[in-house]
Amino acid sequence: MVWFKRRQFIVFLGLLVVVLLSMRLTEFDLSKFKDFQNMSDFLSKWFPMNTESLPFLFQESLLTIAIAFLGSLFGLIIALPLSFYAARNTSNNRIIYTITRFFLSFLRSVPEFVFGLILLTTLGLGPFPAVIAIVLHNIGVLGKLISELIEAADKGPIEAMSAVGAKKWIGNLFGVLPQIWPNVLSQFFYRFEVAIRTSLILGLIGGGGIGQQLFIHFKTFQYQLVSVDVLLIMIMVILVDYMGGKIREKVI
Amino acid sequence: MIKFENVSVLYPGTTKPAIQNVNVSFQKGEFVCVLGKSGAGKSTFIRCINGLQPVTEGSVKWDDKSLSEMTHKENLEVRRKTGMIFQHFNLIPRMSVVQNILTGLFGYKKSYENLLGLFNSSDRMTAIEAINQVELTVEPTRRVEKLSGGQKQRVAIARALVQNPKVFLGDEPVASLDPGTAERIFYLLKETHNKRNLVSIINVHDVVLAKKFATRIIALKEGKLVFDGIPEEFDEKMFAEIYNY
Repeated sequence: MVWFKRRQFIVFLGLLVVVLLSMRLTEFDLSKFKDFQNMSDFLSKWFPMNTESLPFLFQESLLTIAIAFLGSLFGLIIALPLSFYAARNTSNNRIIYTITRFFLSFLRSVPEFVFGLILLTTLGLGPFPAVIAIVLHNIGVLGKLISELIEAADKGPIEAMSAVGAKKWIGNLFGVLPQIWPNVLSQFFYRFEVAIRTSLILGLIGGGGIGQQLFIHFKTFQYQLVSVDVLLIMIMVILVDYMGGKIREKVI
Repeated sequence: MIKFENVSVLYPGTTKPAIQNVNVSFQKGEFVCVLGKSGAGKSTFIRCINGLQPVTEGSVKWDDKSLSEMTHKENLEVRRKTGMIFQHFNLIPRMSVVQNILTGLFGYKKSYENLLGLFNSSDRMTAIEAINQVELTVEPTRRVEKLSGGQKQRVAIARALVQNPKVFLGDEPVASLDPGTAERIFYLLKETHNKRNLVSIINVHDVVLAKKFATRIIALKEGKLVFDGIPEEFDEKMFAEIYNY
């Protein structure tokens, strides 16, 4: 076995132990699928779909899209300038770099759900706290992702901008942003898609939108409406993904 | 006009200086080619002239004023007066020919004007003149990625020209071009140099090109200045010495 070294066997054994431990902790047991019948019984209650309240649910879906859109767009707008401070090659000061990095990872480490719970206390129930919660988390995520794009950018154009005597921030902006723009857009659309799923979760705590409807229908056993909710969610996610792809194609 | 006094540059984390104790000065009208092997310190040398590379020891003086003693504003002015072109052109991708050329005016404009692209008609005229001067025949609205290497370097030269430079620097400007294009670019550089009475200092690998166009040749070996003279003096012995043949 010339491909393998002894060290790799040890790593493999270690990995195996971690997998087994994790399976134990998560009660991972495929034999439980023998009660598969239950699931199909349950799913059969979802049909036929109850399309009566489709106009209302459609409206709620639009609200979900609006929450996700504002949450990710405002997140991007705030993250973009911050990411220049959080990138090693464009940050002019080690201290500012470290503080910005720390701030971004702090925002990332708090789940939107927790931000939502905290914001509820001042903003009350409704979509507005959901938007803010998504904005805050997305600043952290997009700030990190974009700062990494900045660090990986070709330094040639930045140098050319210094050489023409441009101010440093103007040089950084023009030297970097056009290079990374298509990738910034794809990160944005991915986060938009994620934000749709997140706003569903925020529906659980009264964030509004289709997520809240899904939660209500589920709790009140209205499964024929649950299926409509799920369908609308799937359509939304696919639509955003498709649109993102189209827009990115145009930009490149 | 430009004077190096005992200049050394030591990159952080290295023990051998990239350039060492360089003393040299340049006057208006000189077209200088800098020869040397890869890693001899040519790029570092050229970047010291406009302060893109700070020196570790010694000083680089412009009209008797050291770059390190200048204010930030004066430093930016030195760069504005210095047109620089690069091996990989360093154009801004996804922007058009004319947009790229207008970035050459960044040193002259206020930040908000640069940010919003507020260029007046005389700025635009300057850009068009530069396009004509470098004999660029492509659509000015064309994106620069779509151009050939030679065309890209012409755009880069036009960008440097709108700076209204007193000094022209080139860091291997023809190293990624085919021989024919390389010679045409050199011809253009020399022509511009003569027309505007500049100081031009250009790194080049190609000794034949250097001897053909330069009014003066300097050569670096392992960071030290080992030759400084007219092209005729740069003979085969010198060539062998520099390139270790």
